Amino acid sequence: MRKLLQTLETLRQKRKLGLMTHVVVGYPRLEETIRLVKAMGETGADLIELQMPFSDPVADGPTILIANKVSLDQGTKMRDCLRVMSQLSGEMEVPLLFMGYYNLIFNYGVEKFCQDAAKAGAQGLIVPDIPPDEESEEHYYEACNQYGLVPIIVVSPASTEKRLKMLANYAKGFVYAVSRYGITGARAELAPELIDYLKRVRQFIHLPLAVGFGISKKEHIQALAPHAEIAVVGSALINLYNQLPEGEKIEGIKKFIRELKN
Amino acid sequence: MKSIAVQVTNYQALPDERGHFGIYGGRYVPEMLFPALEELEAAYLEAKKDPAFHKELNDLYTHYSGRPTPLYFCSNLSRQLQGAKIYVKNEGLNHTGAHKINHCLGQALLAKRMGKRRIIAETGAGQHGLASATVAAKFGFQCVIYMGEVDVARQRPNVFWMERLGAEVRPVTFGNKTLTDAVNAALKDWIENVRDTYYLLGSAVGPHPYPTIVRDFQSVVGREVRKQLQEQEGRLPDYIIACVGGGSNAMGIFYEFLNEEKVRLIGVEAGGRGIRPGEHAARFQGGRLGVVEGFKSFFLQDEDGQIMKTHSVSAGLDYAGVGPEISYLWETGRIQASYATDEEALEALQILIRTEGIIPALESAHAVAEAIKLAPKLDRDKIIVVNLSGRGDKDIFIIAEALKDVKWQEFLKSKVNHPGHVT
Ligand SMILES: Cc1ncc(COP(=O)(O)O)c(C=O)c1O
Repeated sequence: MRKLLQTLETLRQKRKLGLMTHVVVGYPRLEETIRLVKAMGETGADLIELQMPFSDPVADGPTILIANKVSLDQGTKMRDCLRVMSQLSGEMEVPLLFMGYYNLIFNYGVEKFCQDAAKAGAQGLIVPDIPPDEESEEHYYEACNQYGLVPIIVVSPASTEKRLKMLANYAKGFVYAVSRYGITGARAELAPELIDYLKRVRQFIHLPLAVGFGISKKEHIQALAPHAEIAVVGSALINLYNQLPEGEKIEGIKKFIRELKN
Repeated sequence: MKSIAVQVTNYQALPDERGHFGIYGGRYVPEMLFPALEELEAAYLEAKKDPAFHKELNDLYTHYSGRPTPLYFCSNLSRQLQGAKIYVKNEGLNHTGAHKINHCLGQALLAKRMGKRRIIAETGAGQHGLASATVAAKFGFQCVIYMGEVDVARQRPNVFWMERLGAEVRPVTFGNKTLTDAVNAALKDWIENVRDTYYLLGSAVGPHPYPTIVRDFQSVVGREVRKQLQEQEGRLPDYIIACVGGGSNAMGIFYEFLNEEKVRLIGVEAGGRGIRPGEHAARFQGGRLGVVEGFKSFFLQDEDGQIMKTHSVSAGLDYAGVGPEISYLWETGRIQASYATDEEALEALQILIRTEGIIPALESAHAVAEAIKLAPKLDRDKIIVVNLSGRGDKDIFIIAEALKDVKWQEFLKSKVNHPGHVT
C-alpha cells in the first residue's frame, strides 16, 4: 500500500500523467516476466499490473487471452505468481499490483490470498469480476483493507449514477476506468464521449483515474494527459513484444516505454 | 463432497432479490455488464406481471412450437425392464427438436419488449443456437451465434441450419473450443455491444437474472407433466429424471415438483469416458465451488481454480459448470446427482429406439440410461418420468460414428467422392 500511495502522491505533485503497464505472469515464460517487469520499471512505468493467468478471462481481449493460455500451458501456478511478485517487489520501488479473476482468489481463500499477496509485496488488486454487490457474501474488500491491499474499483461508460455513487464507497487509491471510446480525428483528440464519461466519474469518485482504451502511441497519451492521471497500456505491449525479433524484445519494450513517457 | 439434507419450507421461493440460491448464483460480472443485467431484470419483472406477455408466449408455445408435448408411456421398455413404469416427456417433438425453444421464445419476446435489434447466443450441441437462430428469423433480429470450433465440427448439421436461418455462426478458436469458450466469446460481444444487443443465454446458468428467467420459461414442462400424469395415472410421479448440462431442461421439469417432497428428482450428468480428470463433465463428481462466468456454483477445476477440460459424447452436456439452482438443490438434498458414461448413453439410446421407436438426443439418452438402471429396482406400481429433452436426428453423425456403422461410413465416402450425386 505504501509504495502505491507514494507514487500516486508523487504523480499528483508533478502533475504528470502516470503510466501503468501490464504483463501476464508466465508469458511467455516466468524468467521473461521478471526481466520484462524490471525493464518496465527502469524505463519509467509508474505502476505495473501482474496478471495471474486464468482459464476463463472474460473481460480480456484476444491478445491477453492468448497470453493467459500460453502461460497456463507452460504450467504457471498461483504459487509462481506469488513468488514472482515477491522477488520483484523486493527489488523495485515501482508499485506492483495483482490483476486477476475472482475464481483464483476465491479458490485460494480470499483472506489467505490477501494475506499472502500483501506479504509478497503486492500493493493492490485489480479483479474485474468481484463487484461490491457481492460483498456481504465474499468479504473481499474487507480482506483487502485488513491486509493493506488497495482494492481497485473498475468503472465503465455504462455505469449509472447510482452505481458510481455505490462504487465510490469502496474505491481506494485510484479508479480504473475502462472504455471502448478512444482517439478521434486527425489531430489526435479524445472522443468527446470519453471526456464526458471521465467527467461523470469524477463527479462521484474523487480519486485519480487510470484510463485504458487500446493506447498504443505517444499521441494517445498526449491526448489523454489533460483528462486523466494514469494511462494504462496493456495489449499494445504484448503485441509489440510478440512482433519484436528474438533478442531485441526487452530493448524494444524499453524503447517504446521511453517514447511513451517523453 | 456429499450433500447435506436440510429443512427447506419452500423451494420455489428462491432466488433472493440479488439472485442467490443459498450460497449459489449471484452476479459476479465486470462492471460493464451491470447496467445491462439491471435493465434485463427490470424488463423481466415487468413482463412477468403483464398478462399480455404471457398470452403471447403461450400462443407461441402452442401454435409455433407445438406444445403441449406428449407425455408418453413407454409400455414396451417398462415391460422389458420388469420394474417401474417409465414415461417420457417428449420435448423432442417441439419445433426445432428440443426444449431449448421454450426459453428462446420467452427471451425473444423479452428482447422485442426491450427494443433490442440484435441477439447473440452461445451454443454447445448447436441445439440452443438453432433455436436462437429460429426465433431471430421469426422476430427479425440480427443474430450471431458463438460456437466452439470443436462443436462446429461435430455439429455441422445444426451449423448448416443456423446459417440458412440467417444467423452468423462464429467459431470460437480458443480454450477447449467448446461450450465454456463460446460463453466467454458471447460475453465479450455483449460487453462491447450492450446497447443494442440481447444476450440470449442458453441454459439456467450465468449471472442473475438469467438462471431465473431460463427456469421460468422452461417450467411449462413440469406444469404439463403434472397435468398429463394426473390425466393418465391420477397421481404424481415417484421419480423424475433429467440430464443436466447447465440445467435448463432439468429445472424446467423439476421446478413444478420442488415442493412435492415425495417426488424424487434425479439429475444425470455426463460421465464421459469415466470419472477421471478431463474425461467427463460430471460436476458433482469431483467439481468444487467456484465463481466463473458470472455466477457461483460447482465447476470442474484444478487445484488453482483453473477450469478443467471436459469430455462428453454429447456436446450439450460437455460443460465445466452447472446452474446455481441445481447446485443449491443438490446441496440441500432435494435432488440427487447421478451420471451416465458415453457408453451407457449410447446403449440407452439404442434401447429406446428399438423398444419404442423414439430417437432421443444424446443428451437426453443420459437420462434414459438412468431410468434403465433404476426401473428394475422398483416395484411395478412406481412411476418414473424422464425428460426427453430433445430428439436425436441431429446427432446422426456422432451416433453413426460411435456405433461404427459401416454403411454410414461408405455413404459419407460416396458423398465426398461424388458430391451432388443424388440417388
Ligand atoms: C437436447 C438437449 N438436452 C439437454 C441439453 C443440456 O442443457 P440443459 O442442461 O440446459 O438442459 C442440451 C444442450 O444443448 C440439449 O440440446
